[in-house]
Amino acid sequence: MSLRVAVGAVFRREMQLFARRKSDWANPLMFFLIVCSLFPFAVGSESERLKLIGIGVIFVGALLAAMLSLPRLFDEDARDGSLELLLTSPEPLAVLILARVAALSLALGLALAVVSPVFALFYALPGDVAAMLALTVAMAVPTLLLVGAIAAALLVSARGGAILTAVLVLPLTIPTLIFGAGAALRVLYGESPAAELALQAAFMLLALALCPLAAAAALKISTD
Amino acid sequence: MARTEQQSNEKYGGRWFWRYASPAAFFPLAGRIEALCWVLAIVLSAIGLYLGFFVAPTDAQQGEVYRVIFIHVPAAWMAMVIYLAMAFWSLLGLVLGTRLSFMMSHALAPTGAIMAVISLWTGALWGRPTWGTYWVWDARLTSTLILFFLYVGYMALAASFDDKKKGDRASALIALVGAINVPIIYFSVKWWNTLHQGSSVRPGSSSMATTMLTAMLIMTFAFWAYSIAAAMHRLRTGVIERERNAAWLRDAVKGWLR
Amino acid sequence: MNWESWSAFWDMGGRGFFVWGSYGALLIAVIAELVSLRQARKSALQALQEDHDS
Repeated sequence: MSLRVAVGAVFRREMQLFARRKSDWANPLMFFLIVCSLFPFAVGSESERLKLIGIGVIFVGALLAAMLSLPRLFDEDARDGSLELLLTSPEPLAVLILARVAALSLALGLALAVVSPVFALFYALPGDVAAMLALTVAMAVPTLLLVGAIAAALLVSARGGAILTAVLVLPLTIPTLIFGAGAALRVLYGESPAAELALQAAFMLLALALCPLAAAAALKISTD
Repeated sequence: MARTEQQSNEKYGGRWFWRYASPAAFFPLAGRIEALCWVLAIVLSAIGLYLGFFVAPTDAQQGEVYRVIFIHVPAAWMAMVIYLAMAFWSLLGLVLGTRLSFMMSHALAPTGAIMAVISLWTGALWGRPTWGTYWVWDARLTSTLILFFLYVGYMALAASFDDKKKGDRASALIALVGAINVPIIYFSVKWWNTLHQGSSVRPGSSSMATTMLTAMLIMTFAFWAYSIAAAMHRLRTGVIERERNAAWLRDAVKGWLR
Repeated sequence: MNWESWSAFWDMGGRGFFVWGSYGALLIAVIAELVSLRQARKSALQALQEDHDS
């Protein structure tokens, strides 16, 4: 089986699972919605104040929601034995992992990105900021999933794995958070977001290049 | 004699220090390093603190409160250096497979985390009277906070594995991932600082009197010695725990057992 | 010598709270670490002793 066929098969399987199990994308989306709705209750409903915190809340909310879906990368397959198939496949593990993360990013990342502008309404943010938020969330979620795949691989089937994964991964998402939210902030102030966008894209590409390899090494370590 | 040397060379490729990869060989050496470093730590601290409190003059702008830097800066320095050392031993362990390297990494982590906390605490108490607030999101303080998160993550990950060998390699990998990220995070935080000019910029150690600098340098070495001593102690405890079935261990600790 | 009296030393130009709050925290941290080091060594040796005895 050629590499392309194998990757295609992994990718398609992930998308099929997503389509079949609604909760896989519905739950993170609900979480995103609820978290974004919480802050106004804590901070007050004056639109000026909400405008200031909105970008941050929405971005962090999207990252946390993506965080929730990390365990599903490897845990279920470990349970039913299909992880073994992945590990013993002749195709390079890093590429197969990349295919999996890509599918998850596409499904979840797109969903979160498309929904973010709606929350921009909650926070009295103008349309161009909402659009920039959608773009930067769309870039941030794959970055987080790529980095998170390493932690998820290390913690396959570990007790309390989800929270430990979050503790490990969230500090590493700070650069993408700074530049993603920073780009939207620039648009809010009427300045050019070019630099922040470029840096966020750079981190995404760096993660794309390095994380699958690290995740493959991590998977080999934890399933030894 | 020529044969044993030849055997030794064959076994260790001519490099004498390879024998210390064995816990049995390193255990006594670690003990000697530890003892030396405790002494150094005490002596250097005494000298450094004496210079810092009784020789260094009052600062023109900050008065007496600047004297916190004699422990703030060394602690911040050590928090950084220890993490790099941790990453180094983690890398060595992953590449060479020597379990002592992993144990060294584990032994360093708690001290590094404590250094990070001390750095943040003393930084806050120095900042309040000097610049008005306990906390400021400047690049150095923020990076130290994130470094603390990385330390905790490393220790939590290592602790979550029942299989110690797996735990070693998993935590080593996360230490490396963290190390690669630290410069990226530092750069991003610096950028973020310039984005949000609201945060007051804390000046670095611009022009300091020579005595102040000397005292700070001596305290840095004192902290270094302390960290090495604590790490060596923890390493030896780790060896006692992990090598409990080894024959050499019984003899080595005979004097300590009742 | 920098200080006219011991009370001036403790006072640190009015900033005694901040200076001694810092050094005090360091002292507590060091003591805590040393105690933890000793405890860990004791239990490791105890475990070894139990192995030896059994």
